[in-house]
Amino acid sequence: MARLNILCFPDPRLRNRARPVEQVDDSVRQLLDDMLETMYEAPGIGLASTQVNDSRRVVVIDISENHDAPLCLINPEILERSGEEEMEEGCLSVPGVYETVRRADQVRVQALDREGNPLEMAAEGLLAVCIQHEIDHLDGKLFVDYLSNLKRQRIRKKLEKERRQKTTNEPVRQPVI
Amino acid sequence: MKRSHARRGNPRATAAQLLQQLSAGRSLSELLAGAPGNVPPRDLGLLKEFCFGTARWWLRLAPLAGLLLKHPLKPRDGDIHALILLGLYQLEYMRVAPHAAVAETVEAVRILDKPWAAALVNGVLRRFQRERETLLARVDRDPSARHAHPQWLMEALQKEWPDRWEVLVDAANHRPPMTLRVNLARISRQTYFERLQQASLSARPVPGIPSAAVLDQPMDAIDLPGFTQGLVSVQDAGAQLAAGLLDLQRGQRVLDVCAAPGGKSTHLLESAPGGVTLTAVDIDARRIARVRENLERLGLKAEIQVGDATHPAGPWAERHYQRILLDVPCSATGVIRRHPDIKLLRKAGDIPSLAAQQSRILDTIWPLLQSGGMLLYATCSLLPEENREQVKRFLAATKDAREKPIDGTWGHACEFGRQTLPGEDTMDGFYYACLQKV
Repeated sequence: MARLNILCFPDPRLRNRARPVEQVDDSVRQLLDDMLETMYEAPGIGLASTQVNDSRRVVVIDISENHDAPLCLINPEILERSGEEEMEEGCLSVPGVYETVRRADQVRVQALDREGNPLEMAAEGLLAVCIQHEIDHLDGKLFVDYLSNLKRQRIRKKLEKERRQKTTNEPVRQPVI
Repeated sequence: MKRSHARRGNPRATAAQLLQQLSAGRSLSELLAGAPGNVPPRDLGLLKEFCFGTARWWLRLAPLAGLLLKHPLKPRDGDIHALILLGLYQLEYMRVAPHAAVAETVEAVRILDKPWAAALVNGVLRRFQRERETLLARVDRDPSARHAHPQWLMEALQKEWPDRWEVLVDAANHRPPMTLRVNLARISRQTYFERLQQASLSARPVPGIPSAAVLDQPMDAIDLPGFTQGLVSVQDAGAQLAAGLLDLQRGQRVLDVCAAPGGKSTHLLESAPGGVTLTAVDIDARRIARVRENLERLGLKAEIQVGDATHPAGPWAERHYQRILLDVPCSATGVIRRHPDIKLLRKAGDIPSLAAQQSRILDTIWPLLQSGGMLLYATCSLLPEENREQVKRFLAATKDAREKPIDGTWGHACEFGRQTLPGEDTMDGFYYACLQKV
């Protein structure tokens, strides 16, 4: 297993669209394992392949507090949405930013599991929100796209500034009084 | 996706993250200056209280946590360690309802994305509530923990102040007063007291220092009557001694080396009769911006230069001055009550190198003093290596230097120079020595 590098907004590669997986083989399972490790370590509750710069259409999710309920979805598709819900979301690719997004409260999803078997499931609440958030990633869409232009620009500037500060290695100065 | 607990800017979680960085050698002032972690303005006071209070008692709280934790936490969980100390601080030293202190502190683990720690933090804090007295008695057997001071510093203070060290460390653990410096060039202290009264504020004069007054209740400086108009500044009474000791005369050329943030620079301009020409120098271009702000607010003028006191270069280093204020970088052991993180940041090994740097600065700047002029050597340290021993060495090595003994009703006369001690007459611990050039 290996930890992968997570792309950060406004990296243009987050806008790439993932392509469907044609065959679920060991290399795909390896990718899923690496993504799970990366997600747990971050820590997050969902991660899409686009975020780790891989174009295979897969997501991993685990909304349990104890990290013991991993869910791997290959070629996921939403069949049905219903209800409405507002939830504050964060994203591993948009560190430190939490904003309220309106989404469907319940979804029905079809996908392949890690053995390549078709599955269909219903989800609601946090899980439903998380599935929608991750599938958005596979289509090159981010949760900040639901915000106003102004807000998104502000977030972009903030993250770009943080990036700059991280890369300039300022010497640590002791307080001199 | 990342879990949000819909409670951004939780001041406890932010405090834990900031406190964790103390071990990386960053100071709280520096950490808090960066508008931390989305904490809403109304919680900034609380955030400061959490950070400064926990740092103040860290060396007592850390061994306490050691007794409460079965296994030490991993280095990467330094935030949880800091959070536990913060929880203990609230229970022992703050007037927060204990159940709220525990619940809110436990809640913070989720914002730190470490839900596994919820049970741990909860268990540790509840056990402290049950077994408080026994646990504290065990921790307090070690004097360093009892007084929340590092071993090396306690020993140094015991050696230098054998009769007073306990009072000193106790004063260092108290919250400092908020001391004002009334701009006597613009308004008398009595008239300023009337301004305070009109704003339903009250203060008491500090005896012996005409400009100084201690506010009964600390507040934001910006809200002080006349602050933006330059009628008043915030400065410890001990620091307000410097301007008087310089014995300024009309028209003198004055150099302030290591001037940032400009508290003493602006005071000497306020108090100089008939005006003097001041050159303020500091090595830190960012901090020197603070000098400029302070001068502007107070409507004062000075020449400001970025420069290194150990390598003087440029126009400021090519002149002679009748007065020099040399407020050297030091251990800051005299201002621990204002900067409790010094107890954690400063190590015994720093003192010799600070002393060496001070010697170098003193030797380098001395030639810029005109014959017959006076240099005021100042530190906010309580340690002899930086103070009387420093001056003793300098006098022995410098033919044209004489000490001018300081008379005063304040502080304590040393073999050379004079020292104020934290808590005495409301002051921080400062050291001053007047050195004259023959």
